[in-house]
Amino acid sequence: QTKLLLFPLSSSCSASFHSSGETQIVSEQAIQREETMLQCIFLLSDSGEVMLEKQLTGNRVDRSICVWFWDQLLSHGDSFKQQPVIASPTHYLFQVVREGITFLACTQVEMPPLMAIEFLCRVADVLSDYLEGLNEDVIKDNFIIVYELLDEMMDNGHPLTTEPNILREMIAPPNIVSKMLSVVTGNSSNVSETLPGATSSCVPWRTTDIKYANNEVYVDLVEEMDAIINRDGILVKCEVFGEVQVNSHITGVPDLALSFVNPSVLDDVRFHPCVRYRPWESYQILSFVPPDGQFKLMSYRVRKLKSIPLYVKPQITSDGGSSRISVMVGIRNDPGKAIDSISVQFQLPSCVSSTDLTANHGVVNVLSNKTCIWSIDRIPKDRAPLLSGTLLLENGLDRLHVFPTFQVGFRVQGVALSGLQIDKLELKVIPNRLYKGFRALTRGGQYEVRS
Amino acid sequence: MAPPAQSSRYPSPSQPSGKGEVSDLRLQLRQLAGSRAPGVDDSKRELFKKVISYMTIGIDVSSLFGEMVMCSVTPDIVLKKMCYLYVGNYAKVNPDLALLTINFLQRDCKDQDPMIRGLALRSLSSLRVANLVEYLVGPLGSGLKDNNAYVRTVAVMGAVKLYHISASTCIDADFPATLKHLMLNDSDSQVVVNCLFALQEIWNSESSKSEEATREKEGLISKPFIYYLLNRLREFNEWGQCLVLELVAKYVPSDTNENFDIMNLLEDRLQHANGAVVLATIKVFLQLTLSMADVHQEVYERIKAPLLTLVSSGSPEQSYAVLSHLHLLVMRAPYIFASDYKHFYCQYNEPSYVKKLKLEMLTAVANESNTYEIVTELCEYAANVDVPIARESIRAVGKIALQQYDVNAIVDRLLQFLEMEKDYVTAEALVLVKDLLRKYPQWSHDCIAVVGNISSKNVQEPKAKAALIWMLGEYAQDMDDAPYILESLVENWEEDAPEVRLHLLTAIMKCFFRRPPETQKALGIALAAGVADFHQDVHDRALFYYRLLQYDVSSAERVVNPPKQAVSVFADTQSNEIKDRIFDEFNSLSVVYQKPSYMFTDKDHRGPFEFSDEIGNLTVGVESEHEVPATSVDANETSDLLLSTTEKEETRAMVANGSDYTAPLYDSSSRALPSQGQSELAITSLLGTSDPGPQASMAIDDLLMGLDLTAPPAPASAPPSLKLNARAALDAGSFQRKWRELPVAISQECELSSQGAAALTSAQALLQHMQGNSIQCIASGGQSPNFKFFFFAQKAEEPSVFLVECKINTSTAKAQLNIKAEDQSTSHEFSALFQSALSRFGMS
Repeated sequence: QTKLLLFPLSSSCSASFHSSGETQIVSEQAIQREETMLQCIFLLSDSGEVMLEKQLTGNRVDRSICVWFWDQLLSHGDSFKQQPVIASPTHYLFQVVREGITFLACTQVEMPPLMAIEFLCRVADVLSDYLEGLNEDVIKDNFIIVYELLDEMMDNGHPLTTEPNILREMIAPPNIVSKMLSVVTGNSSNVSETLPGATSSCVPWRTTDIKYANNEVYVDLVEEMDAIINRDGILVKCEVFGEVQVNSHITGVPDLALSFVNPSVLDDVRFHPCVRYRPWESYQILSFVPPDGQFKLMSYRVRKLKSIPLYVKPQITSDGGSSRISVMVGIRNDPGKAIDSISVQFQLPSCVSSTDLTANHGVVNVLSNKTCIWSIDRIPKDRAPLLSGTLLLENGLDRLHVFPTFQVGFRVQGVALSGLQIDKLELKVIPNRLYKGFRALTRGGQYEVRS
Repeated sequence: MAPPAQSSRYPSPSQPSGKGEVSDLRLQLRQLAGSRAPGVDDSKRELFKKVISYMTIGIDVSSLFGEMVMCSVTPDIVLKKMCYLYVGNYAKVNPDLALLTINFLQRDCKDQDPMIRGLALRSLSSLRVANLVEYLVGPLGSGLKDNNAYVRTVAVMGAVKLYHISASTCIDADFPATLKHLMLNDSDSQVVVNCLFALQEIWNSESSKSEEATREKEGLISKPFIYYLLNRLREFNEWGQCLVLELVAKYVPSDTNENFDIMNLLEDRLQHANGAVVLATIKVFLQLTLSMADVHQEVYERIKAPLLTLVSSGSPEQSYAVLSHLHLLVMRAPYIFASDYKHFYCQYNEPSYVKKLKLEMLTAVANESNTYEIVTELCEYAANVDVPIARESIRAVGKIALQQYDVNAIVDRLLQFLEMEKDYVTAEALVLVKDLLRKYPQWSHDCIAVVGNISSKNVQEPKAKAALIWMLGEYAQDMDDAPYILESLVENWEEDAPEVRLHLLTAIMKCFFRRPPETQKALGIALAAGVADFHQDVHDRALFYYRLLQYDVSSAERVVNPPKQAVSVFADTQSNEIKDRIFDEFNSLSVVYQKPSYMFTDKDHRGPFEFSDEIGNLTVGVESEHEVPATSVDANETSDLLLSTTEKEETRAMVANGSDYTAPLYDSSSRALPSQGQSELAITSLLGTSDPGPQASMAIDDLLMGLDLTAPPAPASAPPSLKLNARAALDAGSFQRKWRELPVAISQECELSSQGAAALTSAQALLQHMQGNSIQCIASGGQSPNFKFFFFAQKAEEPSVFLVECKINTSTAKAQLNIKAEDQSTSHEFSALFQSALSRFGMS
């Protein structure tokens, strides 16, 4: 009889490893595919033009693949409907779309798809960080930098360094300072003179000699609330996805410890590589040596929340070829701080031929694609904002069969709606003149009310 | 492996050819080439930038190669970089000119600045010109020994590039051995990772030629080496970790302790910010526990949270890739995700491919406790703006209904769909109501009342129309105007699809036997139209009915309208074998495409389209053989599920199985048909006269089902009580495999007698008792008060087995049962048997 073993995952015993030992030959498990590699990366503009092409291996990928890709895209309507991983007649294509720019990667071998997608996302992030935004012009103006970056981020189709701090030391960003410098000194080289020390440092995300006159560290809790309120006005699902963003400018190699008042509210967490795992496991303390500058320390999820800040009450009645609609918005659970940037957006059903909508507060816009946006901003003290009006249906239709979903946007500054609170941030060695700042912000994410 | 690279590059037609500009540039470059005037570098930079921007937009500037190389003698690193970029792009098509660059690249490889050394070495190895490899070996050799890690990193990749240009040169220079030494000893983590990547690639393609390389390749997944990498894992950057984890997933530990050590070590990787690392770790966990059924389940529990977080965070592209993997796991073990069903709710602005995956998962995880909420949610999607998703949701509701949880509430919902008066909603709902009635005939009264109100004019889709017609025929006695509706449908014979005409024929036959005077006229018209029909199946069926009626009306009634038996299980379309294959390829493209990689990456690199076309045909073939495509709930999905040829057979079997929809199985009592020989004769004569294509023969087979003696005996209304094989045998391996493959048929709690609870002091006691009831134990564990058992039992007359996971708490005297059965239809009987055996424990 086989004996059952319970899975001792959370046990504290750590694996002991022997560096010497008998060589075990595994014969059956043939390695079938090893080349985890991308062959080529294309950057396409929002009109499908190839802005940049970076061949990564000896097997060149012809540009015509982009034409094929773009035709596919057009035949599917828009990029939104196209899957991120598709197969062309010759290659497998991964695509990531950011600000209208398509990052397209090609491969011919089986590989982890998420690896390719994560990599493309990272390329997009790094470029957007370097060029201070992404658009066609900025890429075309700085294509040399883009090439340089891609060169350091991937060699022979295998990802190398994607850590922004290290890249910044190898290739200087084209920011205003360096532009001014180049005017003054006549030296417009955007390559730093030295090689990054971090590539060989034991903390790969940080160089060793950083000096600041004023030491500062800012910790931001940034949360997005997703909620679904169903047709009967019942809260079906509500969860918060949050990030702890840190902006650190501290001399030397600081060792930080961040703790929360109520870490138990967190359902699942993901960490920047700098976070040490054991202190979190044992005491829920985030212990880390931060990269220099802005980075995402942790992301987390809080499920099964019961209180939502806003209610939206839509009512639609149909009669004889037209529908009356009224949408009321108000505060459901007061978060304690002002809610601003409130907006309600919904797609009018395609059978609506014309609308007459007015609001007692805020501005109503109906776009040509039948999207209706009602910007409320703050809820006035004296009355609840109300949108009302009629929807005229197309000829022959008596009543509405398809009902819109209302997407609600909002912002609350000063509160993390998940309830998560920072307790304290400690430094092992306290430098002179340290400023610590904490902030919190919650935004509406996929906050939707069905009707 | 890969198609030859196209050497010619076409400028896009919309862009200027740039001929004039190119010769302009050539002149300017020449002027600058020899100049040493101050500021010349800046002018060069402007020119280079222009050249490269032309190159970037696809204008061929390869003719400037000579001038570019002449200008590249400069200390300016940006100029160098641009020049390297240019050279790298055009060297392959201009091998003669590439020779010109060797000189300055080799010189740069000895530069003081490690950055320049590295960049030059990278460019040199990226020239990829076969007859220049001799110039590469020297710089690569010194690059690998360079004291700067950056240069070594580049040199390692250079060695692979060299290998791909000329394998023999790379092997002769003994680079693999150097790389192996670096991999095991270098202090820089990136060098180690690059070496691993390089060696995998070299040894992998070398292993077909040399035994030594095969040994080396296998050495990569040996214990000392895997442990070496695991110990250094945290030093590596995220991509390096992915590479190592991929390798670890192939490692087979020698004992279970090793398994746990590795998993403990890797557990924190599940919390990594990079989703690729998380997925690679999950793959390792799943692979390591494949042979440990219970731990495997615990792994699912452990990886659930990170996966769900990955799905809800990140960009839509990332969540899609994760979602495809989550989908795979949910389909394998839906019960583990049952409490997380809310994660699969669709958000309004998610792309439809995401919604589709989510709907499938919602359907899979539905169980007793969450069905009501899931169905409520699905019903909201029926009014969705996105019509395909609305349809999918209705189908999902139907599938859940067929899983037989809370049918009562679902029937109401489906009937509400019929009242929504949207054509596609009505169409989908009709098909579902039909399937429901086949499984739960007891709901016919409620359903027929609503269906009767639907005007057949509002139903256009063939599938829905066929469903409506089937119901009209089947419940002709309950619907007053059934004969008249059918009659009006016959009048528009030509307008309908063949499948609708087939149904119409059968329905009118059925109606005729129940209400002859009202239907006779319609039947006549229908048979006449049918016999004259161009469609082979329709023609054959009409003729068959006609002759049958001619022969003997009462026999015809028994053939066409026999007593019906409810369908218990609808066949699944994707075989377990395929699902397992995909599962083995976790964290790969296979998962995203939902087909194992052998189906889309083969040696000749056949285009996937070609392939999917073939599959498409195959599927279509199956569907038309199917004769009534709506028979199985999943039929309309077959187009995205790929069936291998072997599976085609299974599908056929399934089709045959499902065909009782039109010609239901005979009840065993009505089997002894006096005229049977004659009917068979009629059929054989039909077979003889016309040359039946596969479709026609299928259609006849279909009808034959009613007569064929080889048809499996239908379980009669009072099924024989379940008998178990007292000497059932099953080895641990097959138990685990079956446990993995089978879904949980029944999951419930039952009570132990107080004596039983008291008697259960050790696991052994219960084992003997259960053995006495022909239920064997394969594994047991735990100590008072919590015990856990895995039992199995086998049917007496066939090899079909039942598997049971049983957790007993003696202090509460409760047992939690999870029963899996190869023959789902008898799982309830077995459950009763098991529980009674369990309750008798301690009584004697």
